[in-house]
Amino acid sequence: MSLTLFTVVALIALAAYFMSRRKAVLIAGGRSGVLHSRPVFHGLYSLLWVALTGIGALVVSSVIGDWLVDRVLLARIAAAQPDMAPLQQQLLLSDAKAIAEGRMSSRSGVLRDQIADAYAWMSALRNWVVIALSIGGAAVAAWITHGRVAPAWWARNRAERILRNILLAMATVAILTTIGIVLSLIFETVRFFGMIDWRIDKFILGTTWSPLSGVFEGQMDADTVGAVPLFAGTLLITAIAMLVAVPVGLFSAIYLSDFASSRVRATVKPLLEILAGVPTVVYGFFAAITLAPALRDFGELIGVRIASESALAAGLTMGIMIIPFISSLSDDVINAVPQSLRDGSLAVGATEAETMRIVILPAALPGIVSAVILGVSRAIGETMIVVMAAGQGANLTANPLEAVTTVTVQIVALITGDTEASTAAGPAFTLGFTLFVMTLVMNILAQRLVRRFREAYD
Amino acid sequence: MTDAAAQPSAAPAHGSLAGASNRLRQRRRAQTRLKAYGIAAIAFALLALATLVGSVVVKATGALTNTHFTYEMTLSTEALGVTPESPPEEILRAPYGDLIDEALEARFPLATGRTARREVDALVSNGAQFQLAQHVVENPELLGQSVTYPLIASDRTDYYFQGGYGDLLTPEVAGRLTVTGSEDGTLDIRSSEEDFAEALQTVKQSLYGDADRLREQAARQQNAVRVYGERAAAAETEEAREAQLERQAQAEAKRDDLLAEAEALEERAAADAGTEPLDAENISLLIEAGGGWIKMTEVNRSGGEGVALTEVDLPIETSADWRFRTTTLPEGSRRVSDRQIAWLETLKAEGAVERDFNTRFFTAADSRAPELAGIRGALVGSFWTMMVTFALAFPIGVLAAIYLEEFAPKNRFTNFIEVNINNLAAVPSIVYGLLGLAVFINVFGVPRSAPLAGGLVLTLMTLPTIIIAARAAIKAVPPSIREAALGVGASKMQASFHHVLPLAMPGILTGTIIGMAQALGETAPLIMIGMVAFIVETPSGITDSATVLPVQIFRWYDFPEPGFEARAAAAICVLLTFLIAMNALAIFLRKRFERRW
Amino acid sequence: MYDTSKTADSATEQMSTKFHCADVQVFYGETHAIKDVNVDIQDKTVTAFIGPSGCGKSTFLRCLNRMNDTIDVARVQGTILLDGEDVYDARVDPVQLRAKVGMVFQKPNPFPKSIYENVAYGPKIHGMARNKADLDVIVERALRRAALWDEVKDRLDASGTGLSGGQQQRLCIARAVATEPEVLLMDEPASALDPIATSQIEELIDELRQNYAVVIVTHSMQQAARVSQKTAFFHLGNLVEYDDTSKIFTNPEDPRTESYITGRIG
Repeated sequence: MSLTLFTVVALIALAAYFMSRRKAVLIAGGRSGVLHSRPVFHGLYSLLWVALTGIGALVVSSVIGDWLVDRVLLARIAAAQPDMAPLQQQLLLSDAKAIAEGRMSSRSGVLRDQIADAYAWMSALRNWVVIALSIGGAAVAAWITHGRVAPAWWARNRAERILRNILLAMATVAILTTIGIVLSLIFETVRFFGMIDWRIDKFILGTTWSPLSGVFEGQMDADTVGAVPLFAGTLLITAIAMLVAVPVGLFSAIYLSDFASSRVRATVKPLLEILAGVPTVVYGFFAAITLAPALRDFGELIGVRIASESALAAGLTMGIMIIPFISSLSDDVINAVPQSLRDGSLAVGATEAETMRIVILPAALPGIVSAVILGVSRAIGETMIVVMAAGQGANLTANPLEAVTTVTVQIVALITGDTEASTAAGPAFTLGFTLFVMTLVMNILAQRLVRRFREAYD
Repeated sequence: MTDAAAQPSAAPAHGSLAGASNRLRQRRRAQTRLKAYGIAAIAFALLALATLVGSVVVKATGALTNTHFTYEMTLSTEALGVTPESPPEEILRAPYGDLIDEALEARFPLATGRTARREVDALVSNGAQFQLAQHVVENPELLGQSVTYPLIASDRTDYYFQGGYGDLLTPEVAGRLTVTGSEDGTLDIRSSEEDFAEALQTVKQSLYGDADRLREQAARQQNAVRVYGERAAAAETEEAREAQLERQAQAEAKRDDLLAEAEALEERAAADAGTEPLDAENISLLIEAGGGWIKMTEVNRSGGEGVALTEVDLPIETSADWRFRTTTLPEGSRRVSDRQIAWLETLKAEGAVERDFNTRFFTAADSRAPELAGIRGALVGSFWTMMVTFALAFPIGVLAAIYLEEFAPKNRFTNFIEVNINNLAAVPSIVYGLLGLAVFINVFGVPRSAPLAGGLVLTLMTLPTIIIAARAAIKAVPPSIREAALGVGASKMQASFHHVLPLAMPGILTGTIIGMAQALGETAPLIMIGMVAFIVETPSGITDSATVLPVQIFRWYDFPEPGFEARAAAAICVLLTFLIAMNALAIFLRKRFERRW
Repeated sequence: MYDTSKTADSATEQMSTKFHCADVQVFYGETHAIKDVNVDIQDKTVTAFIGPSGCGKSTFLRCLNRMNDTIDVARVQGTILLDGEDVYDARVDPVQLRAKVGMVFQKPNPFPKSIYENVAYGPKIHGMARNKADLDVIVERALRRAALWDEVKDRLDASGTGLSGGQQQRLCIARAVATEPEVLLMDEPASALDPIATSQIEELIDELRQNYAVVIVTHSMQQAARVSQKTAFFHLGNLVEYDDTSKIFTNPEDPRTESYITGRIG
């Protein structure tokens, strides 16, 4: 229904555009200089107002209507069944809606049928109100803006001001996204901490992670929500990844920026970019299906037991994934160090290697550190590789040959597991919030560093 | 300079330019070392890329082909209980599965008993009956007729023909074969030459392995003997000492038995001749003769005993027309039995097995059976999801970028938006999944698993990329263009949309394509919003339940069937092809329309 | 190609010749940037290269210490002898050459390190000092030669980038002379400086002549006239005229030189 109504509003807006433009054309009568704004702007002004009013009325009245219908019906259910738990009442309401719309309901009953009847006429009423408001609003807007078409009417400036505000609204989507992330994460996090009696210390310092064992009504055992094994596992895998990615990425960048011929550079850089464009699920597949069995077999060969979900396989693969990240960011900063410094060093008789080691790298250090921090932040937040190649069990160990689990693995396990969503959401969103805060701090730090570097050379 | 005498004497040896000093050689070596590290690092990265792509492509070859059976069978109206005049829905529901199974069982009359019959039925895919049913519904006149319809084979059959369960070798034979039957069904096998000597050796090799295991057990018993001896020496009472000594004696006896057994095995293995029994841990020795297949249960240098796997014309008298076949894997380590190998090879010899390019992979949606599973559902799901993402992210991203570059006043609010965008670009994707779950699904009631939900999440995720790229492209348009437009009396809005935006468009499109490529490969946030469900239907809109290509890969990778692993790898190849195409398009756009001001 | 015996002879004849350049050609990819340049640069003399922008004077200067090696597409042909040795010989390490032929650039380019580290950099990498005390002496001597010592002796640990433009350029000169070079190349060393700093640098160049052969590229004819004894005029990649500075500015032989110094081409 909304889509049809939306189309109708759009058509009214178009009609208003043509009417206002025509009126303006008639007023001008082919003479230039009569109108302040060209007819097309008079049309645009109408169009924008009609569309905004119509769609605004549509959205607002729909949302308020839904809310009102739900409230009235829930009040009725509560009156009929005062002892019913709120969750049950909700379920009853959604059953009734299903019956009214001719879908399958989980159960049927007299009350459900009554509520279904009530819902049927109330939602019909709501629909009519929405239709009346949005079409009416659009029509009124069309009439008013049409009436305003006049030689001295600054339609262009008015229309552009509306457009500008639309642009501003689009730019604020970024802020809304951040607010959305923070609110949705904080809401569940607070609920979760409430369930463990605000023993946040147990979450941060506890070493037993088994949040869903022994859960009962709205309460969790604070002793089984210790996230240390998760943090340790994440750290272990990240450390392995950085041990691979930092030297390989940095040396590649050094070679490509100052030693490679332009032909080598032109060949190798796109190849590294391919490595960066490979989706993480492919890396995960590689880690789980190719690398982990190969490592295990190699371990057997030399007599070392390597778990098939070892931290090593996940870490190595993640390291490969981060190589292009480190190398391209480092390459950028090394290239951003001015050529004059290179010239100065070479002119006193330094070799290219000495120039790199003593002059360029120290100058580029803030940028390189920032690249490494961003790499760590990526490794911590990486999900698919560890979901596919790391373990599920919360195992507190520093041995890279054993299976460990990570924050992201546990989030996925909790959300996709078969535990009731409302119970699993608490620990999952809390872990998500922890992840968000950690990466945010690292990103801000990295941005600061890189800004300092840029300020020095721009 | 306080004192001339203190002047350092070590002014550089500026003598000849060409004569390299030790020190210089050292410095040059340091340079070579640094270069070597760089080359090694690049080699490592490229090797990793090659291994990654290579291993995926090799694994994907398993999904390239499909196997079909093309044996003739009668669509008996009695067995199916329908006639050409029956209504289509009845024809559709007729028991084609039983018909297919019975036709195959009739072909191999030796397959009696539940296990054997089940093994026969397992050669054909469960999906074959539905394909046949559909075919008959479309051509009801076939009912009552004898038809040859290609029946899709099971994953197991397919994997066998790909060589996934090892190869079937044909060692040279020189002798003539005589096979005689006996009352209990055992066949006596003899060749006029020692054609089985090599196979016997291979079988005997495994005896050494058995003997080694026995010796290991004996060593443990020896250890026990020592421990009991020590305990006996340390015992405080006579009684306790006796008990320990008794245990020691038992352990000694066990040890000796084990060692004797091991020795006997080794002796057997060392001996040239003798007869060895065969079990599921040995490679299988099969004989093709008399129009059927025989499996050896005992082997000596020139013959042994066996059982018939398929019907064999007995007796065989000094026949030269026979083949000796051996497997490379023991029966216990493959999912296809010797019987099944015999049946499959028989069907293949009859020309009733066809292997063709796996078009089904591109035309079918997901399935529980690997041979039936395809990526169409996931591809369409990805298409709808990308449509939603593009329809939202592109306009929002471009408009936001125009605002920030062209209109935004330099104040704290604008600065805050900028900081936000930069941070959002680095937020882990899984956090966007949690956001989508909490906001779009739980608050706004967007249907779970739908491309609409996935598209919304991916929109938020790709927006920072698009905005950053679009801003860079807009910034690259020189101010002189804007001034020129403003100079002829255009408004700021007109200057932006008529002049700056078209000039920045190639850069914006490049950034958008790269953002979309990222979104196409994204998995984690979509798992969060339930796009990981098993969905057989191809979605037909943005609110249907759907899955996407990367999530499909994730689902398939952890099924145990080798067919799914191959299909996951093949799906990766498809995904990578799309990504490479998108990136190539981006590079093309950049090269074609790049303008240096 | 040249005849080795002949050029070696000519080098012994003119003891004070530092650089002997014959038929030097430079190509940047397809562009022929320097054509057939023949010039002998004298020791303990300031030689100025003048000419309109893009005439190749900087390019030629960069050939003398092989700074063009760092540019992929640049190719140098012909003969450049330093004290009779071919600097483009395969056995010559440019690193050693550059220790002998120092260079100062158009824009001051101190390293983002302390003043002391800036000057000590060359001596350190060439292993010229056995210990810290030696190094201190070298640094002080270099800073004195660059007429910077008195201004910075109390803050040697301060960053080199914190100095004023003229001081930075003198620091770069100190850095160049610290390796005890025999020749000092200067690529428009004062073009980024204000008039006061410029005159300080010019005075310094005149003093440096006592110890080094100095080659200076400049776009300012007044500067060339003030500081140099010999002047070479480049035009479109050709060396048009090379003679005593006084002769070039008062009585040039080539009409192109005359047009240039009188301001008709430039």
